[in-house]
This record gives sequence, C-alpha cells and structure tokens, in this order.
Amino acid sequence: MSKVIDARGLTCPAPVLLVKDAVEQGKHTEITVLVDNEASRENVTRFFGSRAYAVTESREGTDFRLKALHEQGSNETEETVVMKEHNEESDQKILLLVTTDRFGSGDDELGKKLMINYLKTIKEMGPDLWQIIFVNGGVKLTVESSPVLGELQEYERAGVIILACGTCLEHFGLTSMKKVGSTTNMLDIVTATQLAGKVVTLG
Amino acid sequence: MSTLDFPTDANVLVGLATADDAGVYRISDELALIQTVDFFTPIVDDPFDFGRIAAANALSDVYAMGGIPKTAMNIVAYPIKTMGREPLQEMLAGGATMLRQAGAVLLGGHSVEDEELKYGLSVTGFVHPKKILANQGLRPGDCLVLTKPLGTGIINTAIKAGLASAETISTVTELMATLNKVAARVMCDFSVSACTDITGFGLLGHIAEMVSGSGRGVVVESGKVPVLPEAREFGAMGFVPVGAYKNREFRKDMVVLPDAFDPVLRDILFDPQTSGGLLIGCAEKEVPRLLSRLHVEGVKDAAIIGYVIDSVKNTILLK
Repeated sequence: MSKVIDARGLTCPAPVLLVKDAVEQGKHTEITVLVDNEASRENVTRFFGSRAYAVTESREGTDFRLKALHEQGSNETEETVVMKEHNEESDQKILLLVTTDRFGSGDDELGKKLMINYLKTIKEMGPDLWQIIFVNGGVKLTVESSPVLGELQEYERAGVIILACGTCLEHFGLTSMKKVGSTTNMLDIVTATQLAGKVVTLG
Repeated sequence: MSTLDFPTDANVLVGLATADDAGVYRISDELALIQTVDFFTPIVDDPFDFGRIAAANALSDVYAMGGIPKTAMNIVAYPIKTMGREPLQEMLAGGATMLRQAGAVLLGGHSVEDEELKYGLSVTGFVHPKKILANQGLRPGDCLVLTKPLGTGIINTAIKAGLASAETISTVTELMATLNKVAARVMCDFSVSACTDITGFGLLGHIAEMVSGSGRGVVVESGKVPVLPEAREFGAMGFVPVGAYKNREFRKDMVVLPDAFDPVLRDILFDPQTSGGLLIGCAEKEVPRLLSRLHVEGVKDAAIIGYVIDSVKNTILLK
C-alpha cells in the first residue's frame, strides 16, 4: 500500500511526527512526503533512514517530494507482526472526540446521564476503539469526580489511548486533578484526527 | 541592524559591534557594568522549571563576560485570562530561586498581557574593566573547554513532539537550570583569553564568532565534545530543530568537515542550546588544572574539546 503525506506549511517536528505515525501503522510499503523546507527534508529523510526506508528525492518548484520504499530489512518482521495483530482484530481505528460532559441538548441532567451511559457502553466497539480525546468541557470526565473514571481507566489499561486537552484542563483549573489519560496539545489532536479511520464527535 | 546608527560613548567597553554575550559600560577604572536581556517562550511544561531555565539562561551572559550578576528585572508576557495566576506565580518563583543561587536581587519587572507566554530577565552584573572576558581574544595554542554537554535543542524538539521520556525531560531540565556560576568562578583563577556561553548559534556558531576576523582558527576534536546520549538518538530520528540547519547554513563557509563526517554529530555541533555551558579559551599549560578544578567543584561534564591554531585563519576544522 502507498500513502501520500502533504507536510508543506508545517515546521519541525510536525512533518516527522506525521511520517512516524504512518510508518508505525505498518501497512504502507511506499510513503511519499511533500515538504517545503530544507530542515523538514533532512529530518524526514533521516527518519526514514532510521526505519529502513530508502528515499528518492525530487524537486517540485520550491518543494521537495520524498518517495520512501521499505527495504526488506531486519526490523521488517517486527513491523509486520504489529501490522497483522492490528489487522486481524480491527479494520478501522475509531477516534472519539468528546467535547462536553453531556450528550446532546434539551435537558442537561438527561445529557449527563446519557454521556455516562454512552461512555460505559463504548466497549462494545471492541478493538476498533483507538483513542478517546477529551476537549473543552469534556475534560471534566477525566478528573477524580468523573462518574466514568473507573471505566476510562479500564479502557486505558486495555490499550485505548486516552488524551485530555492541556489548555482545557488549565482553563477549568483541573490540571492537577486529572486521573486518567495523558495531557495533550493541539498538534497531537490534529495529527490524531488526520490518522483516524473514523472520527466520532460527541458534543 | 548594522545600517542603523545607535548612540555610543567612550565608556562603552563592549558594544554592538562584536556580537558579544552582553554589553559592558565603564563606571570607573575599578568598575564596569555588564548588561544583558533574554526571554523566550516555554520549552518545558512545568512553570517552575521554565522559570528556573529562563533565569539561568539570562544570568549566563553575565558569567560569560567574566562578571558577577547583581540585579535583575523580570520581563513577562502572560495570558492571564486563560491561564490564571497560579502558573505565573510558580514561574516567577522558579526565576527567583535562580537569582538567589546567583546572589543577585530582583529590583522589579514589567508584564504585558499576551496570548503566548514569554518570560525572561534583564540582568546587570559587575566586572573589573581589566578582567572582562570578551568572546574574541583567543591565543594560538589555547585549549577550548566546554562545561555542559550539547543536545538540548534536539531534545527540546523531541519533548515538543511528545517523544521524550520523563527521565530525559528531567535530565535536560536540570541541565538547563544549572547556573554557569561555578564554572565562571573557577575560570577566573586561570589564564583565560576569551569566553562565551553556548546558546542559539550552537557550539560551532559560537566558535565562529570567537574566530571570525581574528586571523586564527580552531580545531574541534568532535569525539571529545560532551553530548547528551538522547540527543544522538533523537537526532538520528530526524528531530533536529530548524535553528540547527540555519546555523549550519550561516557558517558553512567557515567550517571544514572531513569526508563522511557523521551528519547527526554535525547537527549536534550546530544544535541551538538553551542555557548552554561556557566555552573557555585557556592557556595550554594551565588547562589540566582548570579541568580538574571544574570536575572537583561539580562541573562534571567539562571537557577539552579543541585548540587554537594560527596556520589557518577564521576557520573551524572538525576532526
């Protein structure tokens, strides 16, 4: 499979991170990356080198097109195994973007109950559930008093990536009260929404 | 900036012309003032740590001139509406901790509201006018001693990318928050010809400033340069900041590399440092004693990384 990443307009380390995620998905033997500056060109080329990809380079005006082919090397096996594991169990990666602590509008009390119920039920998605990102009022569900804290901690132990927006935690004064997941930033969120097979937004 | 005409007078001992670490102004035959200012956006998440690093970085320019920091003023741009007071207080407490360690006092400061946080200090220090250590003045035969390992720019890029481990973050934070005070005090007891601190231009960029127009050259024994191991790892993965490439491009005509020189090490030598170490030019016969004093006093990473020659001019030879 091949993939094209347009990293023009991005500065380091964003281009390398996009490439890293694509490489670690493991399903692309050919990856083409477009960059528009010298630092990104060298950094992306170097990253491919560290993961046993051979890079051929061409110029397109002021941009660079870097075409990387995976060499049949020693770390091939490891990556293939990871890829198979993922593919056998799930075909798509679902990203759940939780932007509030209540589900839908109409009645806030009902909305809160529905959100609790929803988050307790998402385990039915099985291994397709890849990441849950909490932003804005959603971060209130990651703190001590969250009615779904136990469930979220359980999902995290099972391998679901759980992230809470750092700016949002700070805004609500909850930074030190977060009890599940890692703190994240907008770059991670943008990268994650781009890499996800499907993004489900709850708001 | 060179086209602008700035005011000056006969008491300006170190001014804009030589791109030095700080400016120096003579008060009397016994006393000169060192003045410097530096501020930047956060490089670590913890506000207290960021405050410590920003202050250590600002104070460093005074040490690099051979002086002692005396007074400081805070410079703050802060998003008070979105971040609240608490991180601001922690950040300023971090800065105050370093001023206390340096033996300097805080006289005041100025803050503005801004969407993006920035913090730094303006620092004033004292130096005897005859004991100023400028960045130029290296003598043929001098050895160069570097007092902190390189690699903070690359590791900060990896931190930004969310890839650095908690242990790495803690190591590099402590390194950046370490004052150059001890190294500066020790070097004053030796025959030192020139000194600078390694910051945004990277090791080779700052050596270039030391030899530019001097008629001398420097040999850098790259295998002896102290480097953070994580910087090699992240450098090989392509987490090299744009600044390192700019530094390399800017000084490419002054730096001679052997064929097949390791590109990762090359980029580490150009890596922009935050609150980097001092680079000290010391007479060859005194350098073993300087090095052992630095090690005894706790500057454990200090190493001799090169020497000054006059057979090539205005050039850095990498070995």
